[in-house]
Amino acid sequence: MICKKCKNSGSVTVRKEHMYCDNCFMLNINHKFRSCIGKNKILSSNDNVLVCLTGGKSSTVLLDLIFNGLSQDSHKKLRMVPFFLHITGLGEKENDITVAELIIKQCQSYNFNVYIVNICEYYFQRNNTLPSVNSVTDVHNWTELNSNTNLKSILGKMTSTSSNDIEMKIKHDIFIRAAKQLKCDFIFTAETTTTLAVNLLSNLAIGRGSQVQDDIGFFDNRDENIKILRPMKDITEEELHHYIRIKNLIEISVDTIRGNSLQSVIKTFVTDLQENFPATVSTVCKTADKIGSVDKNTNRCKFCKSNLPEKSDKITAIDATIFSRTVSNGQPPIANRNTGAEEQEDIKMSLFPFIDNYFCYCCSKNYLEAGLHDSNFFEISGSKNL
Amino acid sequence: MPVPCRTGCGKNAMLKRPKTGDALCKDCFFWAFETEIHFTITKAELFKSGDSVAVAASGGKDSTVLAHVLKTLNQRFNYGLNLMLLSIDEGITGYRDDSLETVKQNRDDYEMPLKILSYKELYGWTMDEIVAQIGRKNNCTFCGVFRRQALDRGAAMLGVKCIATGHNADDIAETVLMNVLRGDIARLKRCTAITTGSEGTIPRVKPLKYTYEKEIVMYAHYKKLVYFSTECVFAPNAYRGHARALLKDMEKIRASCIMDIIYSGETMAVKEEVTLPSQRTCIRCNFVSSQEVCKACVLLEGLNKGLPKLGIGKSSKAKKMLEEYNAQQTNYKESLQAAAKELDDVQSKKELCLSDSKNCKSGLCKGKTKLNRNSSINSNDYTNSSNAKECCSNCSGSCERIKVNADVNNTKVNTLLEKYVINETNIAKVNGEGTLCNPSNSDDNLNNSDDEEHTHAEYIDTHIEQEDETCSASCGKLGSLNIGF
Repeated sequence: MICKKCKNSGSVTVRKEHMYCDNCFMLNINHKFRSCIGKNKILSSNDNVLVCLTGGKSSTVLLDLIFNGLSQDSHKKLRMVPFFLHITGLGEKENDITVAELIIKQCQSYNFNVYIVNICEYYFQRNNTLPSVNSVTDVHNWTELNSNTNLKSILGKMTSTSSNDIEMKIKHDIFIRAAKQLKCDFIFTAETTTTLAVNLLSNLAIGRGSQVQDDIGFFDNRDENIKILRPMKDITEEELHHYIRIKNLIEISVDTIRGNSLQSVIKTFVTDLQENFPATVSTVCKTADKIGSVDKNTNRCKFCKSNLPEKSDKITAIDATIFSRTVSNGQPPIANRNTGAEEQEDIKMSLFPFIDNYFCYCCSKNYLEAGLHDSNFFEISGSKNL
Repeated sequence: MPVPCRTGCGKNAMLKRPKTGDALCKDCFFWAFETEIHFTITKAELFKSGDSVAVAASGGKDSTVLAHVLKTLNQRFNYGLNLMLLSIDEGITGYRDDSLETVKQNRDDYEMPLKILSYKELYGWTMDEIVAQIGRKNNCTFCGVFRRQALDRGAAMLGVKCIATGHNADDIAETVLMNVLRGDIARLKRCTAITTGSEGTIPRVKPLKYTYEKEIVMYAHYKKLVYFSTECVFAPNAYRGHARALLKDMEKIRASCIMDIIYSGETMAVKEEVTLPSQRTCIRCNFVSSQEVCKACVLLEGLNKGLPKLGIGKSSKAKKMLEEYNAQQTNYKESLQAAAKELDDVQSKKELCLSDSKNCKSGLCKGKTKLNRNSSINSNDYTNSSNAKECCSNCSGSCERIKVNADVNNTKVNTLLEKYVINETNIAKVNGEGTLCNPSNSDDNLNNSDDEEHTHAEYIDTHIEQEDETCSASCGKLGSLNIGF
């Protein structure tokens, strides 16, 4: 078995057929990372970049790739000024601390500083102050958690599908706010092709099809100033395994997807299909690159900041669902009876609260699930300023 | 504990609706189910008063419910539609023959005229025969493509304004997922549209687009509709099965996800910079196509020419293959004419090395042939000439074809031909050896089973080589022989 690049003896097999030696394999991964940043021409020299870490495989590799890039000489040097952020506070306390400490250790081995941020504290405070670097203790001494701002218990009461979605959106919001605070115009997140393929199908399954471009493409353009980039988007889960093994990196597996949810079912499905059809993940991601949105409206969802759809007379799934509720409420059997506008509004509110005015389809459904009462965390977080 | 019906009719609920989670009693469900379809039809303006509408009927639950509901609504709300049933008989033993009986029952029950078109009469092949050719894989490609066109043909024969199909919400969600998994962006774009069809074609409408499969089954069950519920015997191998399995798993977790996926599909758009194939009409059959020649024609061509794999895979490749094949056919005709002409010439001149000239007509050794002919012009070889004559009269063009094949430069076509053109090579082989061509030979070979195919391919390989050799070698040999004489 020889490396297909240099003809020396190979040691890594990718996609069951391509053989590489360790050296060529690492060069290849480095190239994928650099070319992904390079060919999109978004990043200019010496930009501040906020790098978001979870301690998992992909984030560990991202950290190492950035360090490698920065330590290259002259023309190969990766020209950016990195800042590091880790969001904690949704898991078991002990586990959270272990993960945070590992990340601090990882960063310090490269001489980087990292901000550890508690999700509840940061999300509900309005002044965006970051804690001091490399400190776990600060964030875990936060005691003011009341039932309204304890995200862990709030999300725990919702279905895992919605909690997965909400958690991701909250983290994005924190990324953007922290980036503003640190004067970064760019954010790096470590999604791999495999993760993105799962995210694409999940997006479809929860009605976020029109947001695919921002959620799965190379960059998220929803914020006017700050862009979220995904420089690992060409690297697969399988390649991460090899990278970590060769470099002997320490990672901690963090499964952020809650079980028994649409996301977890899709993840299992993609992993299984990938076994027999190795092109699955790349095909799905290539499809994502071609999908845009019909929503050209400038109004944005107050929670996820996506464009809201234009008003249209065409029948959509929303109309069909609302009509379902209307007939279930027992209207007299007269076709197209003009139900009172007020009544129609009530029915709409009972299924898609504040849709098209404040929320997109999925956020509206999440809001409904969180409860129509005053202490809905959507209200408290200020994402809905009624 | 019984749950009361949400409408407040006082009865106990019988089912929980998957779309909204509301519980309804039987009568309220019937009413809600029908009214929703009515809402879809009116809101999306699917039909115009006075239209003739063909209901694509398979005998399954979806089309049976569709036919039943359309008839009910047509009467209840005075749509003024002239409804009829259109069925396609794919020729699948143990599946379609039984389900067509159900359709006939529907015809009698709903008093609608029924038109049945069969693959056999439209294309000359039944699905059973196609599967015998192509094997267990990829056969849904044939069936799907042929049915799509067969419905168009049937609709044209019936003179209807549109075709109503029984696609339900589950089907559409499943198609969205499948098109993402397959990376089929063009289909992804149009698969959620409630009406499809471009200018000049008969539009298809999906009145059940927002209706859950589960409710359709319930409706059919409680209304005691007669329907046929066996899965197609060939379906288990289809790629669609993966998307279906995923959707079923997801539905268990969140029933509303089917509507969510449809919503996703409706609000998604293809980026402007992505080029999509434009729809046009097939140059051969004039039915809608995204290519110059439509898929149905390509697949059929493949079947008839003995290359069933022709239409499987990328359409660009199929197009190329077909062009090559056409070019080759033209070549073949020309060479046949030329050969016939030459034959006349030669015969009038009493030239004897007939087989030489014919063999080498389009071959590499053209120069040699001429040379040989010149050199053999005075020789007297009756055996040779009679052989050639016999061959020509017995197998007319067939023996010529393989020689043309040898000329085609496209390796892809060549390999395919080598693999599949069994009868012709055999004739050529026989011809090459100078014995009589036996037409029954080729018939036998057509019916070869898959297992034998491999050996045949090898067999053919060697014979094509032999053919080549025979041509140049025999020319040389005969030439030298003649000279010797």
